[in-house]
Amino acid sequence: MLLTRKSVELLAPAGTWDSLVAAVEAGADAVYLGGKHFNMRLHRSDTNFDDDMLKKAVDYAHTHGVKLYITINNLLSDRELAPLKKYLLYLDTIKPDALLVQDLAVLELVRELKISIPLHTSVMMNTHNEHAINKLKEYGITRIVVGREMTLSELSLFKERTGIEVEYFMHGDMCISESGQCIHSGVVFGQSSNRGRCLKMCRWACKLLDEATGEIVTENDPGDYRLAIKDMCMYRNIPELIQAGVHSFKIEGRMRTPDFVSRIVRTYRKAIDSYIADPTGYSVDEKDWQDLYDNRSRDFTTCFALGQPGKKDIGFSGEREPRFFSQAVKEAGLKAGILDRELPIQAENTAHRQLSVRVANLAAAKAACESGADTIYIGGEAFKPQRPWTLADIQTAIKIAETTNTKVVVLTPRTTMRRECGELEQFFAELMKIRPAGIMVSNLGSLNLARTLTDLPLQADFAFNTFNHLSTQFLKKNGIRQAVASLEASYPQVRDLIEASALPIEIIVHGATEAMICDHNFAAMQLDFSPLQNSQLLDHHYALLDTAKEAHPLRVDQYERTHILFAKDLCLLPYLEKLNGVASYRLEAQHYSPELTAQLTKIYRRELDALATPGYQFQPQILEDLKKISPRELGIGAYRYRVSR
Amino acid sequence: MRLFHIGILQLTQNLDDAVRGFKQRLEALNIAVTYEYRNVDGNTAALKQAAEELAALSVDLIFACSTPAALAAKALPENIPVVFTPVFDPVSAGLVDSFAVPGGKMTGMSGMVPAKDKVTFIKTLLPAAKKIGMLVPAEDQNAQIEAANFRLAAEGSFALHEIAVKTAADLSLLHELLPEDLDALFLPIGKILEENFSSIAYYTDAMDLPIIASHAPNVSMGALAALCASHTDLGEACADQAQAVLCEKKAAGTIPVGQPRQAQVLLNVFVADNLGIELPADLTARAAEIYN
Repeated sequence: MLLTRKSVELLAPAGTWDSLVAAVEAGADAVYLGGKHFNMRLHRSDTNFDDDMLKKAVDYAHTHGVKLYITINNLLSDRELAPLKKYLLYLDTIKPDALLVQDLAVLELVRELKISIPLHTSVMMNTHNEHAINKLKEYGITRIVVGREMTLSELSLFKERTGIEVEYFMHGDMCISESGQCIHSGVVFGQSSNRGRCLKMCRWACKLLDEATGEIVTENDPGDYRLAIKDMCMYRNIPELIQAGVHSFKIEGRMRTPDFVSRIVRTYRKAIDSYIADPTGYSVDEKDWQDLYDNRSRDFTTCFALGQPGKKDIGFSGEREPRFFSQAVKEAGLKAGILDRELPIQAENTAHRQLSVRVANLAAAKAACESGADTIYIGGEAFKPQRPWTLADIQTAIKIAETTNTKVVVLTPRTTMRRECGELEQFFAELMKIRPAGIMVSNLGSLNLARTLTDLPLQADFAFNTFNHLSTQFLKKNGIRQAVASLEASYPQVRDLIEASALPIEIIVHGATEAMICDHNFAAMQLDFSPLQNSQLLDHHYALLDTAKEAHPLRVDQYERTHILFAKDLCLLPYLEKLNGVASYRLEAQHYSPELTAQLTKIYRRELDALATPGYQFQPQILEDLKKISPRELGIGAYRYRVSR
Repeated sequence: MRLFHIGILQLTQNLDDAVRGFKQRLEALNIAVTYEYRNVDGNTAALKQAAEELAALSVDLIFACSTPAALAAKALPENIPVVFTPVFDPVSAGLVDSFAVPGGKMTGMSGMVPAKDKVTFIKTLLPAAKKIGMLVPAEDQNAQIEAANFRLAAEGSFALHEIAVKTAADLSLLHELLPEDLDALFLPIGKILEENFSSIAYYTDAMDLPIIASHAPNVSMGALAALCASHTDLGEACADQAQAVLCEKKAAGTIPVGQPRQAQVLLNVFVADNLGIELPADLTARAAEIYN
């Protein structure tokens, strides 16, 4: 590959005009920034650009031969769609070089409004397979910011197989969770990390708890900041980045000072230019490296670029955390003042309300069918010590379900990288023979694959973060028959969604729900276990115990990804009568025993049936009984809030 | 006309308004200036080196934003005049001898809004309030001073319930410490309260308890209101002091430390709606900012 000055783009962040100028003067090829709304980094009212400033910024950048990208990388609520339309039309007149987007609704709107600005997908879209890229290309996406869990070799493959331009976060702050898949801040604080307001649970101090003994694991204790991933820095690996075919080298930090931006841009500019001018003669400028290192905020990591990160990539001591955004809090319990005051959703109900239950294994599948589930969800992630669903298990489950006239929908994993996509191709071919009632997909890639390889009805799972009706329109056009409302949505936002949705909406009403999904194993980091040594430890259950004394279970799936659960299990049982027009009420029972699955299914079945009787009133005693059998305390999640911000 | 060389030493971006006010006013005063700019982005430990860099550049004056920045500038062996803001109490911080005659190379603007003004503000905002909670960060000197002032000023107006906060992690269990009969929670200035505000608001929200903050950004984050010094105004007043030093050749130490000319009212109407509180019309009329 022959390199030119145009092979690589150095992309800098700007939160203020001064940072924009600093980036341009320091030699950035492109700058990204946000307006006052609809983008990440909304914590501070004095950052980001108003409409006039955006125009000036575009003009300033273009005068200096620099490209300017505008971020619209938020999830959007239905009420934000009208102002967003206006904003998009305005942006079309000022001609930035691209828009960075997260919400599928923006793809719909850009089409509808015939906006001519090129589109890039934000890292928040968590794009991690070529099938998703192919789908996005149909929508005019010209570039993807790939998920942070991608290695450089994966990036090369994306580029080769799809021809897409790849942008990669190569310097700055990182998320421990897969991007766009952390709902902790949204659910607990009503301030969504998918909407630019992350309060960073990942920077809380936590102990490692052995769930079997209830004791804190003190052996080998590396420090309390177990999720505090260090800052990405690829300065010493510029040749690898360039040769992997990464086009845009992205620097994180729209909240950073002009000084910071200037130093980082200048340092990388010099290195990139010197590599391109003479690749074989290139070596790291140790003086520049030292300067970068001395001025670091956290310590550095190369994250996933060169392979799986581990213990060395976490800042366990917390000493270098530049600032904190919150301290741990007790998750909300069942008291829901705001929900109590809200009127029920005005929508028709079917005579028989649909109850669906995600189950852990065959015994639980049988229990759910016999206890009144209309649909069971099987497959997808199996949480250790559960083993994955075999094809034979699926066939057996379908037979069991036939006896009670229950539908079986087969799940696919939330994250489907190269391995999982390869497996899905074979799996879908088998499902064509087994013929379950449907397939649940969790990302655009698995959706694209399922639609291409099967003719089975498709549902979109909660990982799609469905927050507004336009994204349901997108999903519908792409073959989806039912979607799940985002767990971050407050009750009024769920109401807006249900009333306007293009698709039937499923609501998760009970269960152990996931705050984040991480491609790390936190217990293994401390206890130094690995499948090659003491694989039995992989089946052991640990939790993170925070300073509010809340224990967040860590559950590891068959792909070695860790799902961090909320400390309290979701329970909307007392509020079912508010939730009208819901296509399906779902129980997340995949972390429950068959016995509990049966009890829970019966309780919800009875309650949903009772809703149809005149003069229905919820009996608080049922809730007391439910609390007794529940493995964790119960809470109402984001329904605590009037608006999830 | 002489071109002056001013070093700006800034602790965090939260102080951008002070810098903006300072520059605007110097421009309005027709003083020709070039700036050397150091912002350590919250990293207090980096202030010493940043101050030394400014000294090495032989700046004529250092505009130090925040108490730690002013301390770093004061510690320089060089006799470079320092104008600082916002510093809550420059006397107890050891920056100056007194407000009237600061002494040495230091002067500036205190950001302290008098506690009696805050008490009056709360009384106007929540006329029925009888019992007020106050979080007091135990290890924070400025917070201790403000708490002491507020304690005195509140006498006869409210019953005050104080809660000592030793570490940030104490806020995790704040719900166990907040009595149920509070009418409002007052937050004095203090880094751990300001940074971890969302965890405080998390608990007060559940109790329908309004927060009166002292840190402007906390209002958009969910406090009901705050009465704060305008950083822009403070920056402008510092520019006047800088003019006296640079143009009139006054020794900084002879220029009295100023206090905020008028405090800003900041309100959050989204929070007021959630709490069912009607904001008094005279406050909304003079609010510098109303968030929703």
